[in-house]
Amino acid sequence: MAQALARLWTKFQPDIEQRVATLEVAAQALPAGSLTDEQRESAHAAAHKLAGTLGMFGLHRGTALARQAELALAEDIRSSATVELSSELSSWIAELRAVIADRK
Amino acid sequence: MSRRILIIDDEDDIRQVAALSLETVAGWDVIVASSGAQGLLRAAEHQPDAILLDVMMPGMDGPTTFRELRKNPATAKIPVLLLTAKVQGADQRRFADLGVEAVLLKPFDPLTLSSQMEKVLGWD
Repeated sequence: MAQALARLWTKFQPDIEQRVATLEVAAQALPAGSLTDEQRESAHAAAHKLAGTLGMFGLHRGTALARQAELALAEDIRSSATVELSSELSSWIAELRAVIADRK
Repeated sequence: MSRRILIIDDEDDIRQVAALSLETVAGWDVIVASSGAQGLLRAAEHQPDAILLDVMMPGMDGPTTFRELRKNPATAKIPVLLLTAKVQGADQRRFADLGVEAVLLKPFDPLTLSSQMEKVLGWD
């Protein structure tokens, strides 16, 4: 089972990293005030999928980080909150990348 | 006892891990569908013992798929378990009120998914 799960991890890791990259686009657009509704919705969907997927592969910290991002991106973001949120998102993304990279 | 389970989920990774889990841990037969519409056809054709149904899918979502399953006499009595990554209590109550057998949370543990299903379906 563990070996088969590891094979699936290898297979799907590029998709998972693509979802993190989608989050990163949102985090980078936020401080410039250029985050579009479409980008926010894509990032929200990416965070939702990461939350549902990472724990399946034993990455429970990854699921917790993705849930934080999902909640933060769930609604319209006030312009006064963009710098703070961008910083939080960037921090969560950095930790997500580390969690994913550590999965053997 | 051997069972046949239909997994309906648009996410390839979830489908494959769930299928691996149910086949390897429980030894069940698994059929998969990547959309609600495909799931309706597979359910009628294969008559599974239970359906694991994702909530958020493009096109026909999980609740709509569930209602369509219930409308068709060929699939109306198949037990359905919703699978969702929405953890808020209000969402879970709303899904449970649809009349499904249970609401299971993503991420699931591949080692215990089948025993969770057995428990809620009274198969244990």
